Amino acid sequence: MLSRNIRYACRRYSHAVTFRTTESSPTQQTDNQFGLFYTVNKDLCKQLYGHGGLPKSYMKQSKTFAETAIMVRRPALDIINCIKATDLNKPAIRYVLYGEDGTGKSMTIAHLLHYAFEEGYLIVHVPWVSDWLRRVLRHKEMANSLTREGLVDLPLDAAAWLLHFKTQNQHLLKSPEFIVSKEYVWSKREKTEAGAPLHELVELGIARVKYACDVVDAIVNEVKLLSNSKKCKTFVAVDGYNGFFNPLTRLKTPTKKKVAPEEVTLTTSILELTKNDWTNAVMVLSADSIANPDDDTKNYLPQHLLYRKGFDHLDPFVPVKVDRYTDREFLTCANYYRDRLWIRGPLDMETELKLTSACNPFKFMEQCAPL
Amino acid sequence: MNLSKNIALICKLPSHLTKVRPAVIVQTRFYPRPTSFPDYFQNPVFRKEDQATLVESNELSRIATVPVKPPTVAETSSVYYDPLVNKVINHVMKMGNKKLARSLVEKAFENIKRTQIERYHLAKTPEEKAKIELNPRDILHKAVENSKPLLQLLPIKRGGITYQVPGPITEKRSLFMAIKWLLEATNDKERTVHFPEQFAWELLDAANNTGKVVKRKQDLHRLCEANRAYAHYRWQ
Repeated sequence: MLSRNIRYACRRYSHAVTFRTTESSPTQQTDNQFGLFYTVNKDLCKQLYGHGGLPKSYMKQSKTFAETAIMVRRPALDIINCIKATDLNKPAIRYVLYGEDGTGKSMTIAHLLHYAFEEGYLIVHVPWVSDWLRRVLRHKEMANSLTREGLVDLPLDAAAWLLHFKTQNQHLLKSPEFIVSKEYVWSKREKTEAGAPLHELVELGIARVKYACDVVDAIVNEVKLLSNSKKCKTFVAVDGYNGFFNPLTRLKTPTKKKVAPEEVTLTTSILELTKNDWTNAVMVLSADSIANPDDDTKNYLPQHLLYRKGFDHLDPFVPVKVDRYTDREFLTCANYYRDRLWIRGPLDMETELKLTSACNPFKFMEQCAPL
Repeated sequence: MNLSKNIALICKLPSHLTKVRPAVIVQTRFYPRPTSFPDYFQNPVFRKEDQATLVESNELSRIATVPVKPPTVAETSSVYYDPLVNKVINHVMKMGNKKLARSLVEKAFENIKRTQIERYHLAKTPEEKAKIELNPRDILHKAVENSKPLLQLLPIKRGGITYQVPGPITEKRSLFMAIKWLLEATNDKERTVHFPEQFAWELLDAANNTGKVVKRKQDLHRLCEANRAYAHYRWQ
C-alpha cells in the first residue's frame, strides 16, 4: 500500500515536471536547460527556416501547436560549448552529426543555426542536399555549365539557395565590409566590379538565373576570403552531406546520361567550402541514411555513409552522435505534448509509448498522432 | 424501443459522462471459414479490465479449464485498444490488408486531431474551448452513435406486391449500417481527395449531427414514418 502511494506520488510529481525554459537565446543555454523546450521567435523562424531547414513533419507540428519549440539537447549543447572554446584562427573544425533515422540531426542543425545567428556568424546553410541531387520534379531545370567543361548546372536550385542565403544573412550583407575582391565577368555586357557589395552579387544570381551556379561558386570563394581576412566568421551547415558522395544522382542529361554528384557545379562549390584550408569558420555537417536511399543496411555510421571518398575529404572531423531520448528528455517531451494537447488520457500511455517508440523522437511523435 | 431509450439517455447526460463508451461491441469473432477450433473453444478474454471482472465474479476458475481460442494480433491489452476502432478498421480493410487499413484510419484520426486542436487554439472563451471534443476516438464513437438508424425497411411480399415494411432493427445491424454509411459517404468523393481527409470530415460532420450520413439516417426514418400503414404486414 505504502509503495503504491509512493509510486503514485512520484507519478504526480513527475507529471508536474517543468518542460519549458524561458531562455530563448541559445548562446545563454547551459546544462540547466538540458532537455527543456525553448520557443523560437516567429519572425526569426521565418528568416532562418523560411526556405527550408526544419523537417516537413516538424513544420506541420509547429503549425498545429501554434509555436516553434525546439528541445535543448546534448549534441547541440556539446557543439556550442566546443565552438565557444575553439580558437577560430586555426583551420576550421568540422562536426559531423550522425545517428539513427528520426533522432534529431536536422533539429540539432536548426538549433545550431539559431545559435550562429545570435552570435553573428555569416550563415551558409544547405537545407537538404538531396533536394538538389535526388529530387527530380517533372521539369527539373538543367543546363550544361558554360564556364566549366563537362559539368551540369542546376540554375533554379542555385537561385533558390541564393534567396535562402540572402534572407538568412540580410542584416549582415548590408554592412560595408562585405565587398567582392575581384572582377567577375558574366557576359559581354554584365560584370561585377571588384569592390562591389556582396549582396549585389547575390541579387545578380537571383535575377539572372542563368548565372546562378557560377554566382554560388563566386560567393563560396568570397566568403572564404572574407573569413580568412577576419572580416566575418562563417557558420557552414549542410544537412544530408553524404548525398554528395553517392555513386549516382537521379539526374539525367537530355542525352539520358546519368549524372554523378561530382559532375554537378553546386556539389563542387559546396565541397570546396567544406575543405579545412580556411580559418574563422565552423562547419556542421550531417550524415543521414535517408540521403542514401539505395543502401538498405540501416548502418548510420559516417564511415559507411560517407564512403571512402567523403571520409577522406572530411578527415579529420569531430563525430557527434545524436542519440534517442534519454528518460528525462522523453518525460519532458511527453509533458510538452500533454501541454499542447497532443496526448491526453491516463499516464500509463507514456509507459506504453516509451516501449513502442523505443524513445526514438520521430517515432514517438508519429505514434502520438492518432491518439 | 430499447435503443431509442438508450440514445435519449445518452443525450441527456452531461458531456463528461457520455465518454463512458457503450459496451455494444462484444469481443467475439466470427470466422468466415471453418477453423481448426472445435465449437467448445471459448473466445479469449484479453483485456485486463475484463479479466479483473472475471476474477471478481469468481468465474475465472470455471473458465480456467475450458480451452480458449488465441486472440488475433490486433486484440491486445494495450491502453489504446478500442473494439469499435478495430471494427471500423476491419470495415475499411480490403483483401486482408489490415496494415494499410489501420494506417488510413489512424491518418484520419490525426487529421481530426489537428483540425480540432487548431479550432481549440482559435476559440477565445474557456466555455467555447471546453465544448470542443479533442479525442478522435470519442469523435468516432459519437459519429457512429449519431448515424445509427433506429428503424429499418424490410421488403415483404403480400398479394403480389412487395411492400417496404418498417420494423425494428437489431443493435448489431444498426451498428453495421452506421459504419457502412460512413464509409460509403467517404468513398463518394473527388478522385484527388484522399481517403483519410474525407473520412475525417465525415466523422466530424456526423459527430456534430450534420452531414450526409445523418441526413441519410433521417431520410430512412422519414420513409419508415411514411410507410407506417404497412407495419401490420410484419405479422399478418
